[in-house]
Amino acid sequence: MNEILLMLLSMDKFFLRLVSFFYPVLARTGVDTDQLNEILRVKLMMDNRRPKAMFTARRNAKNNGQQSPWLISFFTLLMGFLIGLVLTLNSMPYVGETYYFIIFMVLMAITLISDFTTVLIDTRDQFILLPRPVNDRTIAVSRILHISIYILRLALLQGLPALVIVGFVDGLLAVPIFFIQIIEATFLSIFMVNIIYLLLMKSVSPQRFKDIISYFQIGFSVLVFGTYYLLPRLINVSVLGNIDLLTHWWAYLLPPVWIAALNELLVHSSRSGLITSVLAILGLTVPVLGLWFVAKVLAPGFNRRLSVIATSDGNTNASTQVKKSGRFNFIEKISNLIAPDPIENAGFRITWKLAARTREFKMKVYPAFAYVPIYFVFITFNGSGALSDRLEKVQNGHSYVFLIYLSTFILSTILTHISMSEKYKSAWVYYALPIDEPGKILSGMYKAIITLYFLPYCLVLSIVIVTVWGPQAINDMILAFLVSVVYGMMMALFMVKGLPFSKPVIVKQGGGKMITSLMILGLIAALGFGHYYLMRWETVIWIAIILFLFINWIMFRHYKKQSWESIELADL
Amino acid sequence: MAEAPLIQIRNLSKSYGSKLVLKELSLDIYPGQVIGYIGPNGAGKSTTVKILTGLIPDFDGEVIVNGINMANDPLGIKKLIGYVPENAEIYDVLTPMEYLDFIGKLYGMEETQLHDRARRLLMAFGLGTNGDDRMDTFSKGMKQKVLLIAGIIHNPKIIVLDEPLSGLDANAVIMIKELIMRLSQEGKTIFYCSHMMDVVEKVSDRILLINKGEIIADGTFESLKQNHSDTLERIFSKLTGRGDQASETDAIINAFD
Repeated sequence: MNEILLMLLSMDKFFLRLVSFFYPVLARTGVDTDQLNEILRVKLMMDNRRPKAMFTARRNAKNNGQQSPWLISFFTLLMGFLIGLVLTLNSMPYVGETYYFIIFMVLMAITLISDFTTVLIDTRDQFILLPRPVNDRTIAVSRILHISIYILRLALLQGLPALVIVGFVDGLLAVPIFFIQIIEATFLSIFMVNIIYLLLMKSVSPQRFKDIISYFQIGFSVLVFGTYYLLPRLINVSVLGNIDLLTHWWAYLLPPVWIAALNELLVHSSRSGLITSVLAILGLTVPVLGLWFVAKVLAPGFNRRLSVIATSDGNTNASTQVKKSGRFNFIEKISNLIAPDPIENAGFRITWKLAARTREFKMKVYPAFAYVPIYFVFITFNGSGALSDRLEKVQNGHSYVFLIYLSTFILSTILTHISMSEKYKSAWVYYALPIDEPGKILSGMYKAIITLYFLPYCLVLSIVIVTVWGPQAINDMILAFLVSVVYGMMMALFMVKGLPFSKPVIVKQGGGKMITSLMILGLIAALGFGHYYLMRWETVIWIAIILFLFINWIMFRHYKKQSWESIELADL
Repeated sequence: MAEAPLIQIRNLSKSYGSKLVLKELSLDIYPGQVIGYIGPNGAGKSTTVKILTGLIPDFDGEVIVNGINMANDPLGIKKLIGYVPENAEIYDVLTPMEYLDFIGKLYGMEETQLHDRARRLLMAFGLGTNGDDRMDTFSKGMKQKVLLIAGIIHNPKIIVLDEPLSGLDANAVIMIKELIMRLSQEGKTIFYCSHMMDVVEKVSDRILLINKGEIIADGTFESLKQNHSDTLERIFSKLTGRGDQASETDAIINAFD
């Protein structure tokens, strides 16, 4: 086992040596193999130092960019083991392998898109490699080999546990066949990703393209989070084992079925028919054809488009002008209505615009929107009994208020990130300008957070809740919302004292703050449970709403009056 | 000037879509010259540099460096040129030593010589103790120094500098100005692009002014002074059609009314 781990760690060297066998052949086609080796070595080294999107969800600033390749290899192996378990679920290897390869390919494609895009469109190559005496073929080959090594490493790590498992489940003969199947699945994933890229690049501008990729990354971290929490709760795993996907005719259109068919044909030839043979042949030929198609037809245009994306920052006059459409006027009207004071208005608008346009902020905050419902389902469905029973119990109860209270998680996520930015130095304007009460900027910022993110989110939740639980939930929603706003303001008062986007991205939560944070959290929990017990008296809730409106008003007045002394300044 | 020109540019044209950026540019540059290449934003300055360094392969016209034609053997030309790009692009997860090792090997340098030279250059630029730190924590000036070293590590005949002073402190600026003169005494040809007129005025022995894709002035600072105005700044604004500064400032002042 130790040896295997060692081998995996030195995989880069292993791959480099593997590639070096082809150097004589490559050299004959005009590739400078010394340069090629050097480029590959440095690129692989940089890959290892680059943080991966898959783990960013729960990564804190402390180990920023310092993930060891060990850990990543280990997690990839673990992931591979978990999906490898799918193989043991069904008594029919054909079905089990189909499930396995569906998951394998989806995971592979998503990892490729979310983690490897940055490598593909590394704009620095334009300025670092191009002025050096490296010929085009060497660069092109280095790119292809780099991608291949990355993908093969991923595929091997991800597939290794299943390779062992299949030996136990299906006999030794299945192991080498499985190896071929993994390669088939990898090729098909590359084909899929290429198609996705091409469609994206055809239909959107380079800037949009980068945005869409970051949404992919957000989606991916939510997916990983959700699977960990929910899949074991909602699906009775043994049920999956009894569903036979293959009884439906359309299942034969799925490529993973073709891949699994190879095993059926060669290992269990007694029960395989003509259809299985056809599918197995499809499974062998389509990946190769797909790869050929990628290399011959897609790749040339692909590289040209990529270089357009890479250079788009400087050369093309692609219009980045912000459309001054009706929506923006609408937003401006709202800001004038909610934050009439000029300074407060400025704080409102700057927060609104920067938050909506800063990719790093969105990457950190948007997943939180999805985590809340996942948490809710996780907590409320956390019980024994059949799924339908639990569902009924939830619908008869009043637990829905907690959905809003849980949403305060979004508020605290936004608040912790709103004061941080990679370009925090631009915040010098706040200090250079004659602002007497920075609290006004803060209250503008807070109002923007509420109107831009929290209120719309709560409205959506309320609509869902009212349709499920009925209109008597309306006053509870209003009260929970008001309490949450108070909670957020307390967070902002005691925890986050920076102006919007004004601090470097380093989180150092002092011990004293930890206690404050827990106290605020305790208070909100007490209020939430208080609300839960008062819910039977509708009028009490209405009275509480009036009370909290008043509290909100007082808090805002206080919040607005913050002076420079109470604000944490960053060193500029 | 009896020798053959080191860089010959003939009828160089380049367009992006329908926009013509360079119009039939022709130019001879001789060994040991320090060329100060100036011009307003969007005049075609960086395009010329990018063509000369081989970043933009498709253009009309001829570029011949040291007898090598860009169209036939761009690699041969790239070997002769050291380029310090304007926009500080660098693989900053590497350390300076790793980065220089990488760049040097792409030039086909031998390892012991390369490492020795890299260490000495880092030391000379005041980065001796940072040689093995990752560059993602470096300041802009430190990264700029590494880029400068990467541009001269292979001892090139021609050095192309695009705003090389950005982010550097006054001492480093003085050092670079010194360095440019010393390098030119060593016979290096230097192509210096900048917006900082006072520096260009001092370091270059030939000034080229480009505007709207054409070279509109070419000569020593002295000769330009005789024909036009007394400082490079004034010459610049006069020739690039901004002679009428007064009305612009008028408009600014009037905006407060």
